[in-house]
Amino acid sequence: MKVSIEWLKDYVEVDASTEELVDVFPMLGMEVEGVEGGGPADMEKVVVGEVLTRNPHPEADRLSVCTVNVGEGQPEASIVCGASNFQPGDRVPVALPGAKLPGGFKIKKSKLRGVTSEGMMCSAKELNLGDDHEGLLVLAHRPDVGIPIKEAFADSDVTFDLELTANRGDCLSHLGVARELAAHHGREIQFPELKSDAPTVSEPSIDNLLSKVSIESENCKLYLAWTIKGLKIGPSPEWMKRRLEAVGLRPINNVVDATNYVLMETGNPLHAFDAKKIGGNEIRIRNATEGETIQTLDEVDRKLDESMMVIADAEKPLVVAGVMGSVDAEVDENTTDIVLEAAWFSPGNIRATARKLNLSTDSSYRFARDVDPQLSRYSARRAIDLILETAGGELVPEEIKVGDPPRGDRTIEIAPNFVRSTCGYEVTDEQLADAWGRLGFTIEKGEQWKVLVPSFRAEVDRPIDLVEEFVRIHGTSEIPEARVVCEAVSRHDAAQFTFSEKSVDALVGLGFRECCNYSLRDGKEIEVWADQATVDALTLANPLTAEHTHLRASLLPGLLETLAHNQRNHNDLRRVFESGRVLRAGPKGTTELQSIAFAILTKPIAREWDTELAPDFHEAKLIANRLLEATGIIMPKGGLRSLEDSSAWQQGHAASAGDVHQNRVELTVGFCKLSLSRDKGVNGPVLACELLVDPVMLRQKVKPVKFRAFGSFPPALKDLALVVDENVPAEDVRLAVETAALQAADKQFVVDPVTIFDVFEGKGLGEGKKSVACAIRFRSDERTLEDKDVNAAFDETQRILAETTDYALRS
Amino acid sequence: MEEQLQAILAETESALATVEARSQLDQIKASILGGNGKLTALMKGIASVPKEERPAFGQAVNKTKKQIENLLAQTAASLDNAEDAAALGKTADVTLPPSGNYVGGLHPLTQVKRRITLIFRQIGFTVAEATEVETEWFCFDALNTPEDHPARDEQDTLYFPKESRFGNVSKKSDEAYVLRTHTSSVQIRTMLKEKPPIRVIAPGRCFRRDTVDATHSANFHQVEGLYVDKKVTIRDLKAVLDHLLRELFGKEVKTRLRPSFFPFTEPSFEVDLFSSNLGRLSNKWIEIMGCGMVDPKVFDNVGIDPEEWSGFAFGLGIERVAMMLHGIDDIRHFYQNDLRFLSQF
Repeated sequence: MKVSIEWLKDYVEVDASTEELVDVFPMLGMEVEGVEGGGPADMEKVVVGEVLTRNPHPEADRLSVCTVNVGEGQPEASIVCGASNFQPGDRVPVALPGAKLPGGFKIKKSKLRGVTSEGMMCSAKELNLGDDHEGLLVLAHRPDVGIPIKEAFADSDVTFDLELTANRGDCLSHLGVARELAAHHGREIQFPELKSDAPTVSEPSIDNLLSKVSIESENCKLYLAWTIKGLKIGPSPEWMKRRLEAVGLRPINNVVDATNYVLMETGNPLHAFDAKKIGGNEIRIRNATEGETIQTLDEVDRKLDESMMVIADAEKPLVVAGVMGSVDAEVDENTTDIVLEAAWFSPGNIRATARKLNLSTDSSYRFARDVDPQLSRYSARRAIDLILETAGGELVPEEIKVGDPPRGDRTIEIAPNFVRSTCGYEVTDEQLADAWGRLGFTIEKGEQWKVLVPSFRAEVDRPIDLVEEFVRIHGTSEIPEARVVCEAVSRHDAAQFTFSEKSVDALVGLGFRECCNYSLRDGKEIEVWADQATVDALTLANPLTAEHTHLRASLLPGLLETLAHNQRNHNDLRRVFESGRVLRAGPKGTTELQSIAFAILTKPIAREWDTELAPDFHEAKLIANRLLEATGIIMPKGGLRSLEDSSAWQQGHAASAGDVHQNRVELTVGFCKLSLSRDKGVNGPVLACELLVDPVMLRQKVKPVKFRAFGSFPPALKDLALVVDENVPAEDVRLAVETAALQAADKQFVVDPVTIFDVFEGKGLGEGKKSVACAIRFRSDERTLEDKDVNAAFDETQRILAETTDYALRS
Repeated sequence: MEEQLQAILAETESALATVEARSQLDQIKASILGGNGKLTALMKGIASVPKEERPAFGQAVNKTKKQIENLLAQTAASLDNAEDAAALGKTADVTLPPSGNYVGGLHPLTQVKRRITLIFRQIGFTVAEATEVETEWFCFDALNTPEDHPARDEQDTLYFPKESRFGNVSKKSDEAYVLRTHTSSVQIRTMLKEKPPIRVIAPGRCFRRDTVDATHSANFHQVEGLYVDKKVTIRDLKAVLDHLLRELFGKEVKTRLRPSFFPFTEPSFEVDLFSSNLGRLSNKWIEIMGCGMVDPKVFDNVGIDPEEWSGFAFGLGIERVAMMLHGIDDIRHFYQNDLRFLSQF
């Protein structure tokens, strides 16, 4: 909201400089968005000059050569100028040689196309007074020639653009801001004195232009109507126009301007109707009927619904209540009689209507922030004074009043100690009384103080609100510095956070660079990386753009884009990862999961002196295993299994373990489907891995591990090679051998995990066969095993394998 | 005698000079010190030495034997050295880059997040987490944000369709699901789950329905803080935030609490920072975060008695802090993941 300092001075003494006010307003809770006017900064050798002559430049059509009077006793300056918006006799800012303009531009005596120029006449932009650089800044108020330019603007008004917080509707006016400044400086506030008055009636008399006013909507609690007859519409006086323009309003005519002026003065929106256009001389404040239409003053036809309130006559709606009037009851140049409205409308209702109509006005903005109903009558009388002064006419001596102000002043009981215990620093009773007193609150001291808060402060209604007001007016700079003193709290970081941090550290340690991608994605992509159910579940109701319609189901698409972006830019970034949240549809609804994913571009970005072997599936699997180890996640039972029919992963080169809905953990690793990474713009195969974890699992408390003792006797080694079909997973063979060995050992001794030490395909095995060689280590915790024990167990292992599998012993 | 010993020593020396393999060394050793070796043979001759000369004889032979053993050991060591040197091949040019020069690194947002969490750890805060998908009650109502507050507008908040069902995001009643617009919702979930005293921070991702440009991002990160205990005061709030900002931006920074408004705190403040060391943001007040004393209505909403407990809450943007600390002028850099950006931090 724009406020004019000159205007504020009508109500409160303001002696602070613009620079001081820039610091005062924010500390009252009003942010300064901008400051305009007030003239230029103090600049040496920039003075007011008067153009004496203006002649064409002999060498250049667009330039002129002027003589300029730059002050008594000073020689006339000859100045070459490129502007054309001035005449001899005009007074303009002149920068003389030696002057330094904002932005650091130094003025020197110089020659322009052969003619000497002893300075420069300035535009508004050159003095940092605005954006106008087309022509000179002609000083219409004709300040004295030769005075420094700052003095020429000494009387000019300054406007502040203030941003108010949503709770401070009371500050949306000059009086409101003046109240705050008065409180800050401990000064009195001066309301303009009123001249017009009239007794209040609930029904219009026979002499009134209105025959009836009725409230039929619960969203209007108070409605005041005044009528003026025989006025003459015309332009407003200059002083009013200037003020309205200063705060960004366009002057229209004396009646409309008076209502706008009061809006900006008191914050109470008023509305003037042309009385002759009110059908049936009746005003009804009612809800709109479904589909009812109105053409608002911005000449847009608007369709209303039952939730919206209108001010109607006997036949039609005239105003969208609190928002905007219609062309039907507009005050125009032929208007002679008016009805002036002041009212209180429910803030929520006005806000909803304005939002539905996408129509925010000065009026709706204020009603939505709860105008002071106790000021409605004052505001109406103030506008009447202005209208009678500027448009003439005669007030019908009655105020029609329907309803009552919904709220008034109220008393809050508060113990001064409550303020002290909330603040935590010394606060005296006098300081409390002073701060609240300056805000216009009245105090009745006692054990509990009774603080009477005026109606304009709708939002102050609890003791804690009074604390806030105290802190604000007393000044936050009074809060003393302190050291942090705190007792220990027995609490650990959230398990999900710890998991994420560990996984991030593990991958950084493995040479991966952390990335951060947007969460919002395209639905088509989700279908590739998850399933149709997930696509449906992750659809947003109100996406902003067509590419960002869904939440992400996987971190990998973003990582592929990261690889592609860097590859395109010749950045050697081949190992990337991200930690973040993803969502998947599941049997119990959509689940938010913790994900950690990495991607490896297997092709070098640039030529290298020493070509490394391209990373393969097993390298990715190894990194995945390290990740599990570092984060304490246990690989789901069954381990990694080849992934079939995946839309995201390359058949035969990718594997997965677990299901995140059943096991709470799901690991997928391998080559991204080559066509997919190619479509993402990545040149070369990409190895990737994503570990999904349901945070519920992370919350489970893990018992401390119980130590198991182990023996010191040497193991006995036995090797066993089995010939199996080539498509049998090696893990199946290994597991079979391990199971058989454990069974053979019959708990008489220990069997270490069986390992695979050779896989061979080729000569001598037969078509479609391969050999898997496993190493078995038998141990005992009590003794060195004897050959006969070991051989018996080994024979038994082979027997069990022959019995339970169709694997052949390799001869 | 002495001559014989010298001769054997000389012979050993010259023989060792040509040794190239361990087998040759073993042969030489056997020919001198072995059962039939020359020195052994000489030793055996002690019987024929007169009794009084025997000690001197023995000493001389032993001395020579030591010398020979040393020579053998030296040769063995140099053979080992030569073998080891050969085993690793050609010497490395240590200035060449390793192939696939992967050095990992933390994203700058993670680095700043960790700095902030570490600062709060010093004063006893631990990390709390909640979901990014939230419900209107946790994101707005519980935080005392009125039904018709602009922040809840579909213009600003991303909603899920009414029929959506989430397995691990609990609802209050049948309110809509949203993407959380701030990490303040973590306050609510924490207070419902844990008993005071509570001292937590919650770093996390938030969402606004914003068009992406240099200063806006559809998702961004915040750190929320909550401190609930008996007799928590505005002075405590200032002490904690001053501690944070001085640790983050240097001891010389000035701070001020500027009165403001948030539905969930009363009184509410914006915290401004003044530093001579912030590049183009130097020497002026810069808004850095919001804070305030927890509004009694919020305590009521989570079943904590505001007569007994008080507290403060605050929130700051991680991107904003990172941009200020590092002089980054475009928020999109954080999400583009260009190596030339990432590798700077």
